[in-house]
Amino acid sequence: MRQLGSWVASACVGFGRACVALVVAMLVPAVWAAAVGLWLWWGGNPWSWIAPFVWASIGTLVLARPVCRMVRSLVARWTGTVIPAGYRQAGPVTRLSTGYWWNGYSYSRTSRDARKDQRMRLWWGDPATWRDLRFTVLAPVAVGVVAAVPPAGVAGAVLGFAQPTLAARVFGVLCAAVAVGSAPYAWRLVGPVAGRLLRASPAMVLTDRVAELTAQRADTTVAQAAEIRRIERDLHDGAQARLVALGLSLVIAEKVLDADPEQAKAMLREARAGAATSLTELRELVRGISPPVLTERGLVDAVRSLALDSPLDVAVSADLELRLDPPIEAALYFGITELVTNAVKHAEATTARISIALVDTDIVVDVEDDGRGGADVLAGGGLAGLRRRLAAFDGTLEITSPAGGPTNARMAVPCESS
Amino acid sequence: MRVVVAEDLYLLRDGLVRLVEAYGHEVVATAATGPETLDALLRWRPDVAIVDVRMPPTQSDEGLRAALAARRELPGLPVLILSQHVDQLYARELLADRAGGIGYFLKESVFDADQFVDALARVAGGGTAMDPAVIAKLLSSGSSNRGLDRLTEREQEVLGLMAEGLSNQAIAQRLFLSDSAISKYTTSMFGKLGIVDDDNNNRRVLAVLTYLNKP
Repeated sequence: MRQLGSWVASACVGFGRACVALVVAMLVPAVWAAAVGLWLWWGGNPWSWIAPFVWASIGTLVLARPVCRMVRSLVARWTGTVIPAGYRQAGPVTRLSTGYWWNGYSYSRTSRDARKDQRMRLWWGDPATWRDLRFTVLAPVAVGVVAAVPPAGVAGAVLGFAQPTLAARVFGVLCAAVAVGSAPYAWRLVGPVAGRLLRASPAMVLTDRVAELTAQRADTTVAQAAEIRRIERDLHDGAQARLVALGLSLVIAEKVLDADPEQAKAMLREARAGAATSLTELRELVRGISPPVLTERGLVDAVRSLALDSPLDVAVSADLELRLDPPIEAALYFGITELVTNAVKHAEATTARISIALVDTDIVVDVEDDGRGGADVLAGGGLAGLRRRLAAFDGTLEITSPAGGPTNARMAVPCESS
Repeated sequence: MRVVVAEDLYLLRDGLVRLVEAYGHEVVATAATGPETLDALLRWRPDVAIVDVRMPPTQSDEGLRAALAARRELPGLPVLILSQHVDQLYARELLADRAGGIGYFLKESVFDADQFVDALARVAGGGTAMDPAVIAKLLSSGSSNRGLDRLTEREQEVLGLMAEGLSNQAIAQRLFLSDSAISKYTTSMFGKLGIVDDDNNNRRVLAVLTYLNKP
């Protein structure tokens, strides 16, 4: 009894879904049917087909994307399968100092024109547009015909029972049987068909990946150039200047050595102090570029050293014997430094726990503190920068930080162990 | 003293050799790589060795490893580590065997030749000598939960100098105080930290460092 009940329920649900799928799939054919009807109705004139044809074409182009969106959302709701759309995203429209608007492709006088132009170009250049059109052409055959079976069965049954003859009644019974039998299954074709035809093609995936990598490369280049400029400035204003002063002290000391030995001694002491100060500055600079312990011992010992120097009570657990690629080690080390600094500065934590582990082929670093939480990845903030730097290695940063704490940050970077 | 000098940069090695010889000590061997260092330490068994941390062939912490390996073979072999940077992790590794005869300094400490050779002699005698930078790091890490904040400012200063390896007399000179004032400070300091006082300066310094070294 219960089985029968559930079957009836699934038949009813299936019937509804088949009708919805049929309507969505047949929207574009309906437009074309209307156009043909219009043409027949006008009749006679040999050029009368042009206007309906143009309207139907425009209708198809306009309807293609909404139809595909509907199918995607239906599939997601019915089967739980999310089909990534892969539409190109519009870039920012910015006002230039000349007063014109730049949308990434061309200049316009007003921001409205710029956006319109951008939409058209995006729509026209997006491979997803052509994929959507192909789907709207194939959908009536691939989805529509099968989805039409239950509604057609019901229609046949109604027609059959309306006639008094026996043959018609038999036909009606048969139609009803077909409708009821096919109802739970007829809509199910939507999922696989949409999954196959609406997914981003390998070419589109590659295009996206190339765009992503290009952006990352630009980021890296900018960051690298800024870093080099910083180092240059530090050396120029620091060590170089001090060495010049040191040389001067030595020259003066040499000059006055015979005449005034006391002053010569004072100059030499000054030179010595200058050399010590330059060394301290250079040491700080080197720490910022690449901490010596990291070079000498690798990530785990460098993090242990960091933990010892930290004002927090930091526990480090690591089961990582291998040495990673130096750039990955450096990125993770500076990531951990930043997270621990945040724990001290913003979260006011007193203890932290750092664990470094190899999970499958990923290096996973967890940094957890007992601070007040509420950390968020803000655009342009330190955490966003960290996420970008990790992205250069296809790495990720996840932050769980409810208000009131605790904060858990997880960095994961895929690695080829070396 | 018979000294081994291990340093890969020729100019620095040469300078160190001349410095040591200028003070009337004998340099019995020099080394420029990690394996050479270990070899020289084990073969010559010097009164004290000056060892750089970063050396070929890997340009990592070859020198430190060689020194630690040699001290495993010959416990208490006096070694003074000289480096461009000081790190708590390395300091803790060096002090872990509690055998004494350890020095750990920044390279610029040779600018004050008198103090440097002094420290070298202290290490050769089984004592401990630490760069102020190392002690500052040891003192600052987790200071609140180890009772260091119970010390007065002056006591902390005395503790730092003692951890560097100085004797009461040397501390008194450095701070322009009398010997008796210093022993008063040390008594109260040790009482607060629960360190057992010892008349032997080397053992006392080790006790202080061991205390600071606690995680």
